[in-house]
Amino acid sequence: MCGIIGYAGFRDARTVLLESLKRLDYRGYDSAGIAIIDNKLKVYKEVGEIANVEKKIPLLKGTIGVGHTRWATHGGVTKENAHPHVSCDKTIAIVHNGIIENYSKLKEELIKKGHKFTSQTDSEVIVHLIDDAYKGNLEDAVAAAVKKIQGSYSIVAVSEKEPEKIVGIRKESPLVIGVGDSENFFASDITAFLKYTNRVIFLNDGELCVITKNSINIVDKNRKPIKKKEEHITWDVKDAEKSGFAHFMLKEIYEQPDTINQALRGRISEIEETIVFPERVEKLLNNEISTIHIVACGTSYYAGLVSKYLIEQLTNIPVFVEFASEYRYFGVRNESSLIIAITQSGETADTLAALREAQMSGCKTLVVTNVIGSTATRISDGYILQQSGPEIGVAATKTFTSQIIVLFLIALKLALHQKTLGPNELYNYILHLRELPRNVRDILERSDDIIAIAKHLKDAKSVFFIGRGINYPLSLEGALKLKEISYIHAEGFAAGELKHGPFALLTKNTPVVAIVTQDETYEKILSNIGEIKARGSTVIAIAEEKDTEIEKHADFVLRFLASSHVLPCISITVVLQLLAYHVALLRKCPIDKPRNLAKSVTVE
Amino acid sequence: MKKKAVILAAGEGRRLRPFTETMPKVMLPVANKPLLEYVFDAVRKSGIEEIIVVVGYKKEVIMEYFKDYKNVKITYVNQDRQLGTAHALLQAKKHIKDSFIVLAGDNIIDPDSIAKLLKDKSEYSLLIKEHPHPSKYGVVFVENRSIRRIVEKPKEDIGKYISTGIYKLPRSVFTDIEQCTSEGAHALSSIVQYLVDKRKPINTIFAKSWMDIVYPWDLISVNEAMIQETSASTSGIIEKGVILKGMVSVGKDTKIYSGCYIVGPVVIGNSCEIGPNTCIFPSTSIGNHTVIHPFSEIRSSVIMNDVHIASNSHISRSVIGKGCIIGNNFSTMTGKTMIEIDDEFKRLETPIGAMVGEDCVIESHVVVDPGKIIGRKCKISPMKHIRKNIPSESKVM
Repeated sequence: MCGIIGYAGFRDARTVLLESLKRLDYRGYDSAGIAIIDNKLKVYKEVGEIANVEKKIPLLKGTIGVGHTRWATHGGVTKENAHPHVSCDKTIAIVHNGIIENYSKLKEELIKKGHKFTSQTDSEVIVHLIDDAYKGNLEDAVAAAVKKIQGSYSIVAVSEKEPEKIVGIRKESPLVIGVGDSENFFASDITAFLKYTNRVIFLNDGELCVITKNSINIVDKNRKPIKKKEEHITWDVKDAEKSGFAHFMLKEIYEQPDTINQALRGRISEIEETIVFPERVEKLLNNEISTIHIVACGTSYYAGLVSKYLIEQLTNIPVFVEFASEYRYFGVRNESSLIIAITQSGETADTLAALREAQMSGCKTLVVTNVIGSTATRISDGYILQQSGPEIGVAATKTFTSQIIVLFLIALKLALHQKTLGPNELYNYILHLRELPRNVRDILERSDDIIAIAKHLKDAKSVFFIGRGINYPLSLEGALKLKEISYIHAEGFAAGELKHGPFALLTKNTPVVAIVTQDETYEKILSNIGEIKARGSTVIAIAEEKDTEIEKHADFVLRFLASSHVLPCISITVVLQLLAYHVALLRKCPIDKPRNLAKSVTVE
Repeated sequence: MKKKAVILAAGEGRRLRPFTETMPKVMLPVANKPLLEYVFDAVRKSGIEEIIVVVGYKKEVIMEYFKDYKNVKITYVNQDRQLGTAHALLQAKKHIKDSFIVLAGDNIIDPDSIAKLLKDKSEYSLLIKEHPHPSKYGVVFVENRSIRRIVEKPKEDIGKYISTGIYKLPRSVFTDIEQCTSEGAHALSSIVQYLVDKRKPINTIFAKSWMDIVYPWDLISVNEAMIQETSASTSGIIEKGVILKGMVSVGKDTKIYSGCYIVGPVVIGNSCEIGPNTCIFPSTSIGNHTVIHPFSEIRSSVIMNDVHIASNSHISRSVIGKGCIIGNNFSTMTGKTMIEIDDEFKRLETPIGAMVGEDCVIESHVVVDPGKIIGRKCKISPMKHIRKNIPSESKVM
């Protein structure tokens, strides 16, 4: 789980590589390094943030090089384990993202042949394998080396003996090519080079590519030259910058009125009263569907749980939500069920594996993702883009709400096909969707109330989040946000389950955040709050604007506008996000880069 | 040496309520662009290489919109309390090494005037403008092109030149500001008077075009002026049977249904739905994600983002705030009207319609008298005739 970059062009490579690495550091940030060909191959690496490395690197003249930002998987966080790794004669350097499964065997063989290893990483075997196979042509050597490797990888390599070119290859790890004028790029992610170009070529598994300043040559598995289409990315570099906000997370929270509109863009028509998806998606949803399996990880998994309630409520189709890492091994596969995979990056390794498994057993697959051209969009039967723009904060915010919106649109579409939804109801839902941005703006305008409540949570050892129905997965998401950025232990529970166990953990020092909506469980959640209050815990309720009863039960109330019973989950989510953010801020936590976490997990 | 500009964008713009209740004045849209973007554009075209923006009131709205800006470095600095323009400028001190220009983020100015100011040789200079009603502004008295006296908002109309608030200043001015603010003077004009008293020559230069927005209805006239400058471009889907005349700009993913008749200059944002059979007449701006249902007529109005207007509505010379939901047969009446401002009554010279604040929900068949201001988040029941101003968050039953 790392970020890699390669550059061949006319600019000062040092600046380009460092700049790009800063944009990739959400993929890993425990150490970083670069290698530049400045007559000789020169390598600089350090533990810690990219700024640490930057300080140590002298000005160099080279205009070609590779860089890496690391999130340790094999071997501790040390300078030796940081990439780039170099061959024994220090002429070849590589950066790698992924996991080499057979590295210990390879390492033994290489040591026998006289190669000297300097790190504990699996990645270092790659450079020695390339060195071993090198006979004057780098791409031949890379192709030969990867034949011996088992596992997942994206690799970018340079050699001072061929100072014009960079070679990249991928398998089950992301690698994209950025196409510029008199300059070309390799990177794990588009955002890395977005400042320089928005023209992109996506590589498939097994494809090998050689870039120079003026050329891009791609070959397939059998080394046959292939032509690939360039795609234009509409993201803007400004989307990947913090502007004046203190953190990316806060900026991304504030972007939500807009990203909700983006998720709806081109998909709903109020005048025609329709919901439109690309043809391939329409076909998938129109099928006879017996069940739906949603597979995802992390926050996307919670978005899946939320959508379970939305889809089941509207359609009567049973929905099963499963962790991708479990489903891929243990999931039940049925040809008449639709698999919906949710992955923001489109590269989450476990989710991709689950998708492949599902397809092998004949299931139809639909992907909800934020990244056009990502692996998930290419291996699925159909995909819907969230259109939320790049998300840099490690804690997912705007992409979560966008995922819910997209899944709600899917639910509506399914309901239309199943005839469980009449046209007049559809029109009302469309109007309510249109109102969502203003409901979210309303929350943002009340952030002072949330800041005031955050003070009551900042010193807690443990915080509970409870809710019923669709508010249960929101409790899970609220707890996840809090724990990942503020390091306070937090748990989400279905409110009705409290007395079946978790109550034992409740003390008067355990604040409880209760999500209260005026639905059929309203009375029940009020009595749950009563039970909690009886144990002396502080209760913070998140409740509807017009709910005047709740003040009598909870210690504090945070309000949201619910113009309908549909999708208050979006407004509630924003409250939970801001609450977690402000608690973390009070605790002075590194909000955009929580310890031990990385944004998109492309290793299993 | 990098040419730098400090743009003051921290103020609320109280006289522009209800529109400024959730955004600072600089973010008010004119021809679908916030005022501040016009200022950024002018500053960039004049050759400025770095912009320092002083933000305060509702700063997130600014930062979220602009993020980064076309090849000009933007630095945001915060003014926690909006004490005054000089105090605001002081917040930018650590980013300024040389002489610089300072301007307000809510006044539209042309790039040539800024360029003239930049080229001026004198240490201190100010852009001024002739104005028929100078009493709303800082009135400047000039002798041999230098300022003799500056009077902030005089009771009656005296003099004829006003300060545009756009200055070129040396870095040393921060020492003067610190001196003045410690004595309780926080407005930039008092600093200027202080400099004049110290016998510093302050050169004056005439600005070519300069516009200010003081009251909500000024949005209509400034929109009318600025919409002339936009160029026609159509994307999205325009159905057969739509008539577009003059300069009409239609944004991405917008759909215009058959039978619409649109006479430019008209700007329509992204992801809108218009029609069928809706008529839009000159000097109208329609924001993003806005839906206008069949048989409505809109003219000389500013409709902001996320607005919903149901069928058969008639909206003229009006401003409709972000996120409003308006029922069918909504009607604005227009006329030259008496308006109460700052405890005095004034007859407006041009007719105006309704001013509707953000996020209002207006049911069907509502009629609004000329010049009436409906606050933010109001709810109005069907068949109501609005005859007086409605404060924010009220219900009209």
